[in-house]
Formats: sequence, C-alpha cells, structure tokens
Amino acid sequence: MARHTEHASDSYFLKPEAWSAVRNSLALVALAAWLALAAGYALDRQQFHFSYLVAFAWFASASLGALFFVMVQHLTGSAWSVTVRRLMENMMRTVPLAFVLIVPVFLGIHSVYEWSHPEAARDPVLSQKLGYLNEKWFIIRSLIAIALWSLFALRLYAISRRQDDTGSIEYTKAAAKWSAPGTVALFLTASMASFDWVMSLEPHWWSTMFGVYFLAGGAVGFMATLIAVCLMLRSAGYLTQSIREEHYHDLGKWLFALTTFWAYVTFSQYMLIWYGNLPEETFWYWKRFQGTWKAFGPILVFGHFIIPFFTLLPRANKRNLKLLGFFAGWMMLMHYCDLYWQIMPVLHPKGVALHWLDLAAWLAVGSAYGLVFWAGLREKPLVPVGDPRLEQCLAFHNV
Amino acid sequence: MLEALLSRLGLPGYEPEAARQKIYGVIGDFDTPEDLLRAIRTARAAGYTRMEAYSPFPIHGVDEALGAPRSPLGKIVIVFALIGLSAAVLLQWWTGAVDYRLIIAGKPLFAFEPSVPIMFELAVLLSAFATVLGMFHLNRIPTYYHAFFNYSKHAGASNDRFLLAIEAGDPKFRADEVKLFLESCGSRHTEIVEA
Repeated sequence: MARHTEHASDSYFLKPEAWSAVRNSLALVALAAWLALAAGYALDRQQFHFSYLVAFAWFASASLGALFFVMVQHLTGSAWSVTVRRLMENMMRTVPLAFVLIVPVFLGIHSVYEWSHPEAARDPVLSQKLGYLNEKWFIIRSLIAIALWSLFALRLYAISRRQDDTGSIEYTKAAAKWSAPGTVALFLTASMASFDWVMSLEPHWWSTMFGVYFLAGGAVGFMATLIAVCLMLRSAGYLTQSIREEHYHDLGKWLFALTTFWAYVTFSQYMLIWYGNLPEETFWYWKRFQGTWKAFGPILVFGHFIIPFFTLLPRANKRNLKLLGFFAGWMMLMHYCDLYWQIMPVLHPKGVALHWLDLAAWLAVGSAYGLVFWAGLREKPLVPVGDPRLEQCLAFHNV
Repeated sequence: MLEALLSRLGLPGYEPEAARQKIYGVIGDFDTPEDLLRAIRTARAAGYTRMEAYSPFPIHGVDEALGAPRSPLGKIVIVFALIGLSAAVLLQWWTGAVDYRLIIAGKPLFAFEPSVPIMFELAVLLSAFATVLGMFHLNRIPTYYHAFFNYSKHAGASNDRFLLAIEAGDPKFRADEVKLFLESCGSRHTEIVEA
C-alpha cells in the first residue's frame, strides 16, 4: 500500500543525547535507591527482605510477562504488534537480570521463609515438606528456572536482532520454533518459581492455581509497563507514526483482556477455597481479612478488575491515549497492591504497615531493570526493521 | 420546474417518480479493492451518499469510505449482558434465600462468592444470543429477495470482482448519469439494475 511512505518519516533510532539523558536519570535513581536500600538493610533487615521480595516479584513477573508475550506474537504470527515488539523484546531481555537480583532474596531466606527455621522440623506438616522446601533446593530451583527463561529470552532477542540486518523470513520461522517449547517451559518453571518465591511464604498453605495467578499478574504488569513506555516515547516524539491509535487500541484490548484473565484466575482460586471451606486452605484468606488488610479485598476487586474492566470496555476509551496512559499507570500500581497483599501480611499480620523501604526497593529493582531495558535501545532500532510483517503492521487498521 | 416538465415527458434519466422507483440502482464492477475504494471516494466527493459495496472479502477502509456509521451491536450486547448478570443474581437469591431456604454445608442462604460463576455464565450466554441475533437483525437476515441479484454479474462479488452500487434512493440519483459516472471511475461492466 502507498501508506508506507507516510510512516517512513518516523525515526527508528533514539538521539544519542536523549538516550544519555534518560540513562543518567535512571542511573541517578538507581544510585539513590540502592543506597537507601543498603541503609534499610542495616536498619531493619526483615522489613528490607520483605520489601525487596515484593519489588523483585513485581519486576521478575513483569519480565516473564514480556517473555510470554513475545512468544505469543511469534506463535500467532501477529502483524499488528510488529512495531511494538522490539520494545517488548527489550523488556524480555531483562530476564537474565534476575540472576543478580535474586541474590538478596537468597540472603533473606531465614528472615522471610518460615520453612527455613529450625522449628519447621518439629511441625507435623512442614517436616514432611522439608525435602522440597529447603535452602539448597530453593536456590537450585530458582537458578534453573532463571537459566531456562534466560535461554529463551536471549535466543529470541538474538534471532530478532539478526533479522534487522538481513530481513530473512527464516528468522521469523526460527522464532516461532523456539516459542512453542518456550511457552511450555515458561509456564512450568514460572509456576515452580511462584510456589517457591511467594506461595512458600505460608508453607502450610497451597494452591495449584498459584502459578497462573502469578503469571497473570505479571502479564498485567508487563502490558501496563509496555503501554506506559510506548506513550512516553510518543510524548518525546518517537514512533508517533509507527505506533498509532490503531496499535494502542490493540494494546488497550490486551490490557483489558489480561486484567480480566487475572480476575478470572484470582477469583477461581478464592471461590474454590471459599466453597471447600477447609481450615487448612481458608486461613490464607482469613489472615488477609485481619485489620486494615481487609481493605485490600475491595481495592483489588474494584481497582484491579471492575473499574478497569468497565472503563476499558468501550472502543473509544481504548483509543483515548490519555485514559489508556492513566490506566497503564493504574494497573502497574494495582499489580503492586496484588503482590503486596500476597506477601506483606506474613510480616505484618495485624494490618497494613507501609514502609519507606517498599518504595526504595521498588525504585531500586525497577531502575536496575530499567537500565538494562534502556541499554537495548542505544543505537539500535526501536522497531524490528527486518521483520517481513513490518509493512503490514504500519498499514494496520482495526475493523 | 424544468425537471418536473422533463420527468412528465418521461425522457431518459427524467422518468416519472413511479418508473424511477422500479430501479434498485446502478452497479459497476472493478478489478481490485484499491479501484473500488478510489471509486467510492470519488463518488462521495461527487456527492453520492446512498452506496453499497460488494466484495469477496472484507476490505479495510471501506466502511470509512462509504461513511457507514459504527455498528450499534456492542451497545445491544452490553444491555443483554447486564440483564443476564442481574437475572443470575435474582435467580440465585430468590431460589436460595426466599423460595426454598435450605442450609447446605453451613453456607449462607445467599452469598456472592458461589453466585459469580452463574452471573458470569448467564451474562455470557445472553451476550452470545444478543450478538448473533442482533447481528442477524442488523444485517436484515433472512432477506429472501434482494435486487442486487438482478445484476447479471453478481456472482463476481463472491469471486474476484469488487462491486459498487449507487442506489436509487440517493437524492442525486439519475440512472444514466450514474452509469456514466461509474464508467468514468473505471467500472468494467455497468448496469442499471431493476428493483
């Protein structure tokens, strides 16, 4: 179509000075936040480890959301998402960062996980689980999971980058081939990681849906972050013609769909436990109904589902970039609330106790992820310029 | 004044109102979707408003080019979804907490938690019905007779031709003028089609 020429005006490269400016501010945030974290580590070690775990779970789950989403694009052969895909891939590329950032979690096993305490051996339930829930295997399983994710993430990234130069369709096919086993490996290992990292905070409790719950939340966090990043680049004048209202409409549909999927999974888990009414399962929710934690129920039901559901339902709202941008930020906050509500009641059973370390940890982990993400945009194209579907994507229209 | 006189004389293009109503419109056919789109845009620019395009597959941009309004189907569906949702609440509340009060497994007579799946299902069920039946209604299905099939090459619209009809209801409609106009747009085979 003749339409292609009008989009060619978009620059696919960030200006070096604009790139450096963002890198510098991210580095500044990182420096301040990590110093604050170090202070927090010295002052209140337990609070530090819990705050850190929430932040780590937020960004690790969102980076897994990116990995999942890139694989879905390859498997479905999507054309609409091509111009957005490089940004997704750069988020996916942050997955191996978990190798480094999980170290504070390992260091905090004794402060955070009840099963690591000596009393666990005398507990009739926990003593049976210690063959699985022990420090050595916790670390080994985490590293295996991160290694597998990194393999798929770096492989898919490399395939896509190589296609930039040659434009050969073989890379598209190779990416699809890697994605099929990748989704299976991701769901199995991410379930395992979520059982270890979050669910085992309450080692007496179990939910077989927890892995999907974790990934669904991560996918929402990822999609919200992606929309926010796209809109920020747009406001700086980048990709204004390559990621148009039509593409934002589809990103909005995805935010809507993933929010709904999260609600579906979350509610299914809750309802089954409510209906079964077995004390060994219901206590997890009962603990989260104590004191001010009770407020999180309505916050999540309305904030994470009902409000975004009805607001993002009409077509016009998904195409309203201001509203979409607001809900991107909103869902990022809601993903935090969700994880906070899963993790923090273990430390503060009496009620919500916000701590400055919560913010510091989120900024510290976030700025580290942000720097790795941003490094991928330096002197490299912002869209997969060699993708055979690029032109189709540029001309894309919603029916 | 002149027009009224000419139409009374029944000259071509100025047929009396009664004769004119027997015409469905003028249909032309084009080789490619791009030609069709161009013809639609030219026709709109020329002031024609009552048009219909026929093609073997959906073409992006045709709706905008024809000036077709967005389908109201979504609004119909949300109404039925909400009806389904509230019907499910009423059904479960009335049967469980009013009409046949029975405590089962120590559960409350009515609670939202176990009601949600039914609310969801009924909302989806009524939405699905509203979508399909609403689509039939809005597309006027079933229609047993359509003048489009009087066009001798109508089968092309299911194969490899892209047809444009300018309908007789158009305020600017003059059969002969429209025929010339479509031919000037590049139509390969133009016919005045009976109603």
